[in-house]
Amino acid sequence: MTPELQERIEQIASRYPSRRSALLPALHLVQRESNGYVDGAQLAAVAELIGVPVSEAFGVQSYYTMFERRPVGKFHLQVDTNIPAMLAGAEEIVAQLERSLDIRVGETTPDGLFTLSTVECLASCGTCPVIQVNDGYYESMTPQRTDALIASLRRGVLPDLPVQANFGSVCNVLLKRRGTPNATSLAVYRQTGGYRALPIALAKKPAEIVAEVKASNIRGRGGAGFPAGVKWSFLAKNTGKPTYLICNADEGEPGTFKDRQIMEYDPHLLIEGMTIAGYAIGANLGFIYIRGEFAWIAAILEKAIAEARQAGMLGRDILGRGFDYDLVVHVGAGAYVCGEETALIESLEGKRGNPRLKPPFPAVVGLYGCPTIVNNVETLASVPFIVEHGAAAFMHIGTANNFGPKIFGISGHVRRPGTYEYPLGTPLATLLDAAGGVDGRLKAVIVGGLSVPILTAAEAEGLIMDYDSCLKSGTMLGSGGIMVMNESTSIPRVALRAIRFYAHESCGQCTPCRQGSHTVATLLDKVVAGRGTLADLDLVVRLCRTIKGTTLCPTGEAFATPIEAMVTKFRDEFAALVR
Amino acid sequence: MLSLTINDRTIEAEEGETILSAARRAGIEIPTLCAVKGLPPTGACRICVVEVAGFGGLVPSCSYPVAAGMKVQTHSPRALEARKTIVELLLADHPDDCLYCARNNACELQTLAQGLGIRQRRYRGTSLPIRLDVSSPGIIRDQAKCVLCGRCVAVCTQVVVNDVLEFGNRGAKAKIVCDADRPMGLSTCVQCGACVEACPVGALVFKEQMNCMPDGRMQTTRVTCPYCGVGCQIDMHHKDGKWIYSTATAANAEKQPNQGLLCVKGRFGLDFQNHEERLTTPMIRKDGALVAASWDEALDFAATRLGEVKAAHGPDAIGFLSSAKVTNEENFAMMRLARGVIGTNNLDHCARL
Ligand SMILES: Cc1cc2nc3c(=O)[nH]c(=O)nc-3n(C[C@H](O)[C@H](O)[C@H](O)COP(=O)(O)O)c2cc1C
Ligand code: SF4
Ligand code: SF4
Repeated sequence: MTPELQERIEQIASRYPSRRSALLPALHLVQRESNGYVDGAQLAAVAELIGVPVSEAFGVQSYYTMFERRPVGKFHLQVDTNIPAMLAGAEEIVAQLERSLDIRVGETTPDGLFTLSTVECLASCGTCPVIQVNDGYYESMTPQRTDALIASLRRGVLPDLPVQANFGSVCNVLLKRRGTPNATSLAVYRQTGGYRALPIALAKKPAEIVAEVKASNIRGRGGAGFPAGVKWSFLAKNTGKPTYLICNADEGEPGTFKDRQIMEYDPHLLIEGMTIAGYAIGANLGFIYIRGEFAWIAAILEKAIAEARQAGMLGRDILGRGFDYDLVVHVGAGAYVCGEETALIESLEGKRGNPRLKPPFPAVVGLYGCPTIVNNVETLASVPFIVEHGAAAFMHIGTANNFGPKIFGISGHVRRPGTYEYPLGTPLATLLDAAGGVDGRLKAVIVGGLSVPILTAAEAEGLIMDYDSCLKSGTMLGSGGIMVMNESTSIPRVALRAIRFYAHESCGQCTPCRQGSHTVATLLDKVVAGRGTLADLDLVVRLCRTIKGTTLCPTGEAFATPIEAMVTKFRDEFAALVR
Repeated sequence: MLSLTINDRTIEAEEGETILSAARRAGIEIPTLCAVKGLPPTGACRICVVEVAGFGGLVPSCSYPVAAGMKVQTHSPRALEARKTIVELLLADHPDDCLYCARNNACELQTLAQGLGIRQRRYRGTSLPIRLDVSSPGIIRDQAKCVLCGRCVAVCTQVVVNDVLEFGNRGAKAKIVCDADRPMGLSTCVQCGACVEACPVGALVFKEQMNCMPDGRMQTTRVTCPYCGVGCQIDMHHKDGKWIYSTATAANAEKQPNQGLLCVKGRFGLDFQNHEERLTTPMIRKDGALVAASWDEALDFAATRLGEVKAAHGPDAIGFLSSAKVTNEENFAMMRLARGVIGTNNLDHCARL
């Protein structure tokens, strides 16, 4: 390792309260500097520099899918084949790439120019199919665009292939600046009403902010819908330890692509929200844990943070109010489970992303053993509105117990897939209309990200999109990622693709999830290939029922529930495939 | 103190104690797999899940703290079904070669499966072909049999703190690795064997176990390790008078100096006892040649000669050199012999040389 590289790693390490946290960034850095992979000798050097045993460094490196241990092509083409991508024709793109590069998935061209891989959801569900090339995304890929991409890469040029992503907002809170040019800059953010809430917040006592957020009844937008203000009030007090705020920007739930709309197009909204939240809970340091595939969005955030620091909105003595606060962007490395808050904390500590046992909860023992609040991007980005306009104004939007605006990401078989900001409590039909209507006849819909039970067209009739109504209708609002399937969709194939995702993403720590996901995948694979029996279907359902509530973290439930729903609700379609 | 009910019995428990610990104290057995005595629970295997009234999901008894008024069912149909399914899932990927396994009849997976009444294979996995790792001098690793309980990792990193073993990869591809996935013999492993003793199945076994099927002729004798003065207690497993392998004495392990651990010498170094050149009787040099003698004969001879030297030249003509290879008690006895019986301070110990 060169002294410059060592110096850069030292610099990264100095941003964290614990040196170990620099392990993931260091591996990213070394990988980028050495042809896209980190070999054993480099790994040992990184381990020594950070001060961890080689075994642990390897455990970390091999846990995350973005870390390569063997050489890859100059251009690593990674095609998202998860459900939204599958519905948009990603399989054809993969086949096209295999033909035109004359390699199979997992291989590298003999000239070392291209490696082709398939990957899990890249959070581009509205602009699928998507191909990640090294650190960037190529979205809305058609066969023509794919040809153009390959032709350009052969010339050694990463082309500029603009995308037209659809969006809309009736609330103008979270997607207010989505169409405004240059909204990532501090100047534009300010001109459009930004940084008005921060001075209001800093003029109040932290407890008043917590009370206001509690009064707004805002429920966490990460999936579980837990009231944010209540969570904040659970923080362990007078521990003599620092308190940390973490923004969960892992956005890994298939079908979900909402948080990136905020980070990519309105980063200061998140920064302002996190600064107010940090002030309210008594933190002096906040982290944004962003998924590794969003490297360029991390750069947008870094730039905005630097600008905010320059303008005195972050750093020492913010706005002359005596409050010190800063933000660190921590980039993950490809692991869905790291969206689970305790796995995220482990990952941020530089470890394998294995969820922790609860209790204790992060609000008591979190990052580095200190009281920690983890909130989703959308939750934190809602805070400035609550502080500026008051809880009452927030509760003007939405329905009882389900207040506020929500970004719905709509993908699959709709004419204008994209992100749409509507009040909670909006009928599904309205959202589907906003997205241009169903392309074909609706067969089924998954309304809250892949981990929630699928609804048949009949069940989705009249569905109201908020936490309580979805629960009443036998599903969950989850992350608000809506995946629409028309009559051409094969539910058994969706189920197989879904369980493969979970089997790939399971951290492997606990038996029912590790072995169970793998066993269900084996059974469904047999069924879809026409080698299964009705008894296999019964086994799948039985296994799913047993796994629910038996695993260490909610991931077991996250696959057992939707798979069980698919097999039971569309049993005829599965049964038609068996021997 | 607080009270809760387990299987409808009222039980007193300490604040902060786990359900498992309270249940065991009350004589209620809940099986576990990943738990390592004395180390924090990982809650990973989920075998110990129990049903607690008011909880939606099952609760890992190994790590979940008791609470006043809690109502626990350790063997409810739901808990039993979960436990059974977990073991079946472990067996789904497990090779069917118990008969050839060094741990046959001494295997925790077998015991669990039998206890839960598993009589058929409902699930079939697709276990990856994994080769045996025979690279190290004393230990054979068979990852195909690994149940990923993590006990070996826990002892290697938290008890002996050698930091060799770790989990690699994730999900169904997860496996235990040595260093950066090196063969054990090429890793930083010091062959202490703690991981082998921690392994519930046949994934880690001593090489010599493979050459000797356990049967009725197998015997265990407790000995004190002859290598250094720590006095580690060893259970020597031998058959037909031949040493096969050693484990740290399990009985009252926490009261032993080695507390269930051994180093590479005590673990693998007892094979000398069957060596042809090993001295098995005292020898007395007669007419320039060493001749076998009885203990009485040898001790009489030594006592007489020491007495003669002392009478002729005084006690300080004699010096005593003791050894780290004997126990502290034996070193103490040597000191008493030198100072009390002979009357000299010419006494030293090989560890100072
Ligand atoms: C497997 C799994 C993945 C998750 N992924 C995410 C995610 O990508 N983003 C997120 O905000 N929350 C995710 N969560 C939920 C978090 O654990 C946590 O509840 C959330 O970040 C809290 O924020 P909120 O209260 O603002 O919603 C995930 C949970 C699980 C079990
Ligand atoms: S359920 Fe278990 S194996 Fe699955 S992700 Fe959670 S902790 Fe890991
Ligand atoms: S023999 Fe000892 S050092 Fe080697 S892997 Fe096992 S526990 Fe670790």
